[in-house]
Amino acid sequence: MSAGNWLFSAFAICLALAMPPFAAHAAQQGLTADTITIGAFGPITGPAAYIGLAGRDGAALAIKEVNDAGGINGRKLNMIFEDDGHSPAKALAAVKKLVDDDKVFALFNVAGSNGTIGTIDYVKENGLVMFVSFASAPAVTWPFAKNLFRGGTTEVPRYGELYAEYIVDGLKAQKIAILSGREEYPKNEGDALTKQLQKWYGIAPVKRAEFNIGDKDFTPQLLELQQADPQVIAFFGNPAEAAIALRQAKELGINQRFFVGTTMVDQGILTAAGPAAEGISGFALIPLLPNSSDPAMKAWHAKWTAAYPGLPPNRPNIFDVLSYADMYVLATAMRDAGKDLTTGSLIDALEHLHDYRIGPIASPRSFSRVHHIGNLRLQPMQVKNGEWVQVPWESKRPSDILERYH
Amino acid sequence: MTWRVGLQLALSGLSVGSIYAIIALALAIPFKASRVLNFAQGELVTLGAYIGLVLTSYGLPYAAMVPATLIIAAAFGLVLERLFIRPIIGAPEFTLVIATFAIGLIIRALIRIHWQDNNFFLPAPYAGPALPIGPLRVNPSYLVIIGTTAVLVCLLVLFFQRTKLGKAMRAAAVNQTGARLMGIRIGTVFGSAWALAAALGALAGLLLAPVVGINPELGQLVVKALVAAVIGGFGSLGGAVFGGLLLGVLETYAGAFFGAALKEIIPFALLIAFLLVRPQGLWGTALVRV
Repeated sequence: MSAGNWLFSAFAICLALAMPPFAAHAAQQGLTADTITIGAFGPITGPAAYIGLAGRDGAALAIKEVNDAGGINGRKLNMIFEDDGHSPAKALAAVKKLVDDDKVFALFNVAGSNGTIGTIDYVKENGLVMFVSFASAPAVTWPFAKNLFRGGTTEVPRYGELYAEYIVDGLKAQKIAILSGREEYPKNEGDALTKQLQKWYGIAPVKRAEFNIGDKDFTPQLLELQQADPQVIAFFGNPAEAAIALRQAKELGINQRFFVGTTMVDQGILTAAGPAAEGISGFALIPLLPNSSDPAMKAWHAKWTAAYPGLPPNRPNIFDVLSYADMYVLATAMRDAGKDLTTGSLIDALEHLHDYRIGPIASPRSFSRVHHIGNLRLQPMQVKNGEWVQVPWESKRPSDILERYH
Repeated sequence: MTWRVGLQLALSGLSVGSIYAIIALALAIPFKASRVLNFAQGELVTLGAYIGLVLTSYGLPYAAMVPATLIIAAAFGLVLERLFIRPIIGAPEFTLVIATFAIGLIIRALIRIHWQDNNFFLPAPYAGPALPIGPLRVNPSYLVIIGTTAVLVCLLVLFFQRTKLGKAMRAAAVNQTGARLMGIRIGTVFGSAWALAAALGALAGLLLAPVVGINPELGQLVVKALVAAVIGGFGSLGGAVFGGLLLGVLETYAGAFFGAALKEIIPFALLIAFLLVRPQGLWGTALVRV
């Protein structure tokens, strides 16, 4: 080999050695030398907007903090947000736009279950990481998909386990009625409770009635449930609907205890339902509610309020906290994946996260190679004297949920 | 179903129906006067609630906030008619419908830009625990809604029968050319009709807000009000009220007997039935094309 050839070869080798990071950037969409683009979606219009607006704002606050602190291994985070209108079809269109047109690196899902189910097949096929912050639809994590992760909320069958155990063992109720919305999430919660009551206790609900999302009058359903004389009425829907139903229940003289789904364990329902919310119970998705007097939450609340002044008193809500904490989970995994960030290295880094949380405001998230359910813990709460307070109750039954992943 | 449950359902249906009735009236009044079907009426309901919210946030007491809201809404209706409707009043009906539809979308989009889809609450002094009346338990908000509708209907009857402007509006509804020849200023009639409709929409928004909260979708029940107006006979004010009440009661009983899924279908099935069997509605006048 001549000296010229040696020089050429040496140059080529040096170039090749210098190339991998660049080649990885070129091959991995949504990454440049200084930016990581994340595609986010959720409902910011319509009756479920309280989810998406909070999801967008919480995530944006976390991104601002991450970027202000120097970004991730030299790159800044950039979020492109799309409205899914709480519709499976619109959610799929939003995801296709983010993936195919905006060429995002990963998806951050702050949609409800209704929007999420429309995107699952496409995202599985596409292979990009989708980090689902809120949706409890089982299809996110079961059947297991390598690129789908669940953050703050847990799988709805786990809700079913906890709800059934708490209502029967905690509230000592045998006659349970269910009032649930007809869309994906509340229907799933109602189904999960029904299934688990049957499986663990051999109990069938004494009555189940349904309503449509956005309904303003629940008198027919409440009167129907009242006639079945339940000890506990389990309500699954959106906080705005729950507030109306709780007020109407009191007006109709229905004094049975109400148990509500996780999305309603928040400040908003207290504001909307007023005294009618007294005594209701449910499970909180986060260890500290946004109106908590805990110093960590107060500090976070002050930070959030400074970033988003002028919003109604029911904000920040639990979804602001969840998406804020989950964006930190995603950002931390990206940082752990190192400078050579790819979908594969991000999945690997997420699967190595164990009991990670940004602080006391969030529950710890853990993933493994066999399951991507970040959180199985929920906190039972009850409204006493107009405030949500923790109930000293702990689940004693072992969960069946993780067994199926082994 | 016991008779107590039946009565409780009727009461609930009447309160829902009262809201439909007020919005149906707001649809019927400008339609009678100018033959324009206002698809932005739902957004005028929403706007009324937001005006109330803003005035309340500035510390205006409820008793002052309500008339102030109605006056602002009426002025807005007047401006809307003068700037956007009157210039195209001679256009084909389809153009007018699309124009009002577009105005509605713009109003909703502007509300969204400022307030987004966050839920706001407007407290009302009359909201409180249910009142026991015989075997029934009655929400004071329902009583206020039903009572306001009843008073409103009486006031509108007096307005159309006793006042000069009311009579002018009735005359214009029957024959615009004839009314103009009699010295009635049709432009004033159109503007007044739109101002009245906007104020009625705002009133419906203020009545609804304490019960269901405020968000940009609040006015979506205009579709139900439209069904109510068709059932009653489009252009008939009494028909609009009756149609609204009937629809509210039917919807509530349908929910009780057939569940949530069919409850949503009943109003539209009824609409189709009326359009097929009695398109002029219960109190409307059939027009024969020759």
